[in-house]
Amino acid sequence: MSENRQLLVEMAEGLFADLAHVPFEDAWPRIAEAGFATLLVPAEQGGFGGDWGDVLAVLRLSGLNAVAAPLAEPIIAHALLAQAGMGAPDGLLTLVAASGRAPFGRHADAVVALRDGTLSLYAKGAFAVEEGHSLAGEPSDLISFTGPAAASAACGADLDGLGAFARVAQASGAMEAAFTLAIDHVNTRVQFGKPLAKFQAVQQALAEFSEEAAAVDASAAACAAALDAGDAAFEIAAAKYRLGLAVDRGVPIAHRVHGAIGFTMEYALNRFTRRLMHWRSEFGSDAVWAEALGRKVAALGGHGLWREMAARSDRLIA
Amino acid sequence: MQIFPLHPFRPKGDIPALRQQVRDLVAAHEHRWSVLQRANCWFSFDPEFSRAMGAAGLLGMVWPKEYGGHERTMLERYVVLEELLAAGAPAGLHWIADRQTGALLVRYGTETQKQKYLPGMARGEIYACIGLSEPNSGSDLASVRTFAKKTPEGWLVNGQKVWTSGAHKSHAALTLLRTEEGSERQQGLSQLMIDLDTPGITIRPIIDMTGTHHFNEIFFEDVLLPHDALVGVEGQGWRQVTAELALERSGPERYLSSHVLLVALIDAIGPDPKADIAQLIGRLTAEMWTLRQMSMSTAAKLDAGEDPIVEAAIVKDLGNAYEQALPRLVQAALDVDLAGNSALSQLLAYYLLAAPSFSLRGGTPEVLRGIIAKGLGLR
Repeated sequence: MSENRQLLVEMAEGLFADLAHVPFEDAWPRIAEAGFATLLVPAEQGGFGGDWGDVLAVLRLSGLNAVAAPLAEPIIAHALLAQAGMGAPDGLLTLVAASGRAPFGRHADAVVALRDGTLSLYAKGAFAVEEGHSLAGEPSDLISFTGPAAASAACGADLDGLGAFARVAQASGAMEAAFTLAIDHVNTRVQFGKPLAKFQAVQQALAEFSEEAAAVDASAAACAAALDAGDAAFEIAAAKYRLGLAVDRGVPIAHRVHGAIGFTMEYALNRFTRRLMHWRSEFGSDAVWAEALGRKVAALGGHGLWREMAARSDRLIA
Repeated sequence: MQIFPLHPFRPKGDIPALRQQVRDLVAAHEHRWSVLQRANCWFSFDPEFSRAMGAAGLLGMVWPKEYGGHERTMLERYVVLEELLAAGAPAGLHWIADRQTGALLVRYGTETQKQKYLPGMARGEIYACIGLSEPNSGSDLASVRTFAKKTPEGWLVNGQKVWTSGAHKSHAALTLLRTEEGSERQQGLSQLMIDLDTPGITIRPIIDMTGTHHFNEIFFEDVLLPHDALVGVEGQGWRQVTAELALERSGPERYLSSHVLLVALIDAIGPDPKADIAQLIGRLTAEMWTLRQMSMSTAAKLDAGEDPIVEAAIVKDLGNAYEQALPRLVQAALDVDLAGNSALSQLLAYYLLAAPSFSLRGGTPEVLRGIIAKGLGLR
């Protein structure tokens, strides 16, 4: 880990642990103050000058602590604007996904959308918000544009792809948090005269959960490396689909071993599992990414698939 | 606790050139291989190809040069393996010697043993198998009973091994035996390298449900072996075998044994699939890609001298699950004539029947999840 990343992680660990149960209104100002939004903006443009590995480290920690404020969205919005040479306004920036929804859209001072290769920035007043909620109870608002963009530029990035990577990164932390809760629960909850952890069926179920958490961690890290190498279209599609599978297999296990307590609003598990279930659909569902990846692979042909995968990982060796 | 921090896979050397070398070698030999010979290819045999691998310097890659090895890195070897598997190259004859037996001899073997076996293994001419399971000793390996009695003339072996893959094609079997009379469980076990042409050894085939001959029974009746058949330390067989299993579990063969079926599916569907079939191909690719990241990361950890027991068990369990689901998902999604002659027909028919074997070799899901649970502090 680079020295910069070590410092970043230490700062994020401290801040996000403090924010674990803090509502948006109090959490966002502290995140803004800490400067995370410009994590990917080059230092010469006034940002932190970080890379996607740094983004993964920070987003993973936000997922681990179920931080109830946008982080991925402003990071990606600022990065896209900087890349396109567009200035960023003050305040909270969020993303408009292809679905038309913007996480925390009602709180945003400006939103960034990408349509047909054009990146556009809409300031408050140029868009209308129809409020909605994510499965985790967070704002997931439908955005319609009511006025002209404040600025536009050509952009080759894939906004939903970057959003999908962000959800995989956050989910890697949330999977770990849910897993930790489950382990603590089965080690302390006594039934039939012994801790649940002593039952082989429970051990096997949690081993399966750990495999899914491991798959999300590994795919998130491979995506970050591919993004830093300049192109992660293949990797993001694979990782976002794989996240769907991990949620599909893992979340029911986390709840099953908890029994009724895990189904309550009071107990912490739902802070992670509700987010995981929502992120599975956000920035492209299983079906969307599986089809996108499948079409890529079909075009490559049977042997082309392996050659492409090998070439994509070989470019990271230097 | 992060369960699976990704360890960067950064092999030294010119990796694209190494891949090309393997691809060229495959291209020079593949005219001989039938569709089914390329299925489950690390259990499929072609002596000419094994010798060509040896001549190309692609066997015993990590062994010392003085024993015919090439002193390259474990990660370069990993690249060669994944290329072979992705291409469906019949590499079964040399696979065990190259992966496990040779590596174990390098680590624990006597000078005589190294001279006797390693150069031939590295040439692709000496093949090995692993004698572990017995009729009453499967997942519970520590219960082995086959006994080697130490006599003034040598080791006198009596007993039986079973499910020994490739014994009928192998020159020697690295065998786990009880060498201390009255010992129990993990105590008193040792490994002996047994030449399979030694008098008193009988090898009988067990035909599996695909109709293929991989498995064998090996009977030992008063088999007399020289004292220097002992590999490593007397009584330390359990520790040596366990280390061997970690090498075995996380390799690319744990998710690429069925790759030729995925290739045939993609080729049969063509470049413009319907949405549901595109999704199926995407789903399979996503799982395979993720497993590759996990397998490469575990290889890199092994290469760094760490002992990733939990990671290796995770790779094998997830890999098995993926490979066992693959033929079922293809069968469910497409109308494939299982009696047909197309590559997809032949491979699907084969893998539907072969898939149950994937969770046998190297530990069942229950055994692997037990290892993971223990590693996570759950028992």
